[in-house]
Amino acid sequence: MFILRVALLIFLLASIGPVRFAAQAKGALDVQGKGLKIDGKSGAVSRKRFYLFKGGLKDNQELVARLRSAEIKSRDCFYNQLQASSQYICWLKADNCESPFCRSVTATDVGEVPEFQVAYKKGLTQFKGLETIARDWITTNMPPALVSGYYRDRRTLTERLLSGIVPIQSTMTDSVTIKAIFIDVPLEIPGGKKTGTFLLSNILPIEFGTKSYLWACEVEIGPDKPAVFSLKLPENNKPVKNCEVFIRDLQVCKTESCRAK
Amino acid sequence: MKLSIRIILIILAAFISAASVLTPSFAQKRLGVFSHNTRAHRDGKYSNCDACHTVPTKNWTAARADKHEPFPDVANFPYHTSCFGCHTRDIYSNGGAFCGTCHVVPTMRASGGRGVLAFPIKSHPRQFTTIFPHDVHQNLIALNLIKLDVAVAHFVPASFGPNVPDDATEFNNCAICHKSSSQMPKVTARVPALLQPLAPASVETFAPKPEFFKDAPNSHASCFTCHYQNVKPGAKDCAGCHSLSAPYAVSNVLPRYSLKFNHQDKDHANKDCTTCHVRITQNSDVRKMKDADVAFQTCSTSSCHGSNLTEEIGKREASINAKQPAFQCTYCHTPAIGRYQVPSSHRIR
Repeated sequence: MFILRVALLIFLLASIGPVRFAAQAKGALDVQGKGLKIDGKSGAVSRKRFYLFKGGLKDNQELVARLRSAEIKSRDCFYNQLQASSQYICWLKADNCESPFCRSVTATDVGEVPEFQVAYKKGLTQFKGLETIARDWITTNMPPALVSGYYRDRRTLTERLLSGIVPIQSTMTDSVTIKAIFIDVPLEIPGGKKTGTFLLSNILPIEFGTKSYLWACEVEIGPDKPAVFSLKLPENNKPVKNCEVFIRDLQVCKTESCRAK
Repeated sequence: MKLSIRIILIILAAFISAASVLTPSFAQKRLGVFSHNTRAHRDGKYSNCDACHTVPTKNWTAARADKHEPFPDVANFPYHTSCFGCHTRDIYSNGGAFCGTCHVVPTMRASGGRGVLAFPIKSHPRQFTTIFPHDVHQNLIALNLIKLDVAVAHFVPASFGPNVPDDATEFNNCAICHKSSSQMPKVTARVPALLQPLAPASVETFAPKPEFFKDAPNSHASCFTCHYQNVKPGAKDCAGCHSLSAPYAVSNVLPRYSLKFNHQDKDHANKDCTTCHVRITQNSDVRKMKDADVAFQTCSTSSCHGSNLTEEIGKREASINAKQPAFQCTYCHTPAIGRYQVPSSHRIR
């Protein structure tokens, strides 16, 4: 009996061995967005976050269904509902900004945008007349909803769409090479395959021009060299292979037209 | 007993008795480092940092020791009322040693506001770690490419060194907190923990320059720009960013795997930081960053360095296969590192 037990234990350990080895293997994914052009313009996916999930499209069909049916409030509508001034909305639009943290607030901006003007004046009083501090710290005197409200709204939406699903990793594209690199991706490669299957998605639709774009794509990652995946849009009604790309018209809210930059 | 031993004993006895009679110096009279981690300081009514610390302190407009432009900050020790709730008796005992915790002259005659040590006391061990989620900050600072010829008003810009190319681009994200070093920091080779050296280190001839390095925030300056009020955690919510820890000393020596990397090289300065620092947008807690956040493949898969790195790794493998002295990698590494085994991270390329 004892010998049988030992033999059984050895057999079990031997069968666990290769699986454990496979779990330790790691891979990398290079997501490329430089070649993606929307209305002839590149940079739509510059500095955007992408998420990587275990399994392919089929394994994540509930998530994909949520992404398909999600109602997305556009950035313009968000700020319109907060009754932000058209100047503030245009200031954000000028550089495709989601919040006032995205670029410097200049002295000219303070003169032109009512929200900045009010905050600057408050700052002058609070910071003993120091103009630099009043301007450099201008967001500290703006209503929180106008400063980080949109970010919080997006975060809530992300949580709702994920509904408890934890991505393996998430990373952002940079603004020059427009790449998002996932490294040290744990691989679980089923027998007979050389790669593991994953789902890549930006979860939050990316606003660009008059539309929003959301990808949910199946990618294969192996242990030997980084997998490369280029973001694409459907062409001539032909779907992108192994991808669901959701392109929606942006919600339009009443906004005064913005001056060209 | 020998005479010499007797003399030594007499001198020793005289020294001990003199030491017990002589007035201790100011430094000797100090109580030592104030601990935030005693029960009385940690729990109860003092568990709120603002029970003692005022933001900003009255002296915030005064010139700062760290040469920053003055900004509303915690620039001084808590006022007497914070201490005297419990320590009134202490100021009358032990020659006023208690007063020496904050005051230059450790005596009960020390006058408030004057004769105070520089705050914070840099030589003391740190008692708090900093909570900083890089991922959230990267999310918030979305599109952020700005040219230097555009007025930079919102954030403190990086102070570029002399080798900055004319068409330098400033990326309004990492540079808000991490500026180029203007002085040469202390640096050391970061020895890979689990790898073995294959050869003795040859003579070091490479000398990095200050602009190779970026600094890290060492004050509230870059944080308060956005977090002073309204955006949580605000300046009064100390625990929002500072977590009590066992005291630790901060090293000002930068350990680096690749001391040859020049951030201000023209082909590096025109890249977004996250082009190479690919792990940083994933990092939710700066305290969990244990390894370099630049993955080898960001260099090895690039058209600029890929062939050089492949060539060096090939030379290393060839030298080992030929049972010759191991080829030492010099393209990125100084001899202190280039002589070690090739890590597994360098295999995917």
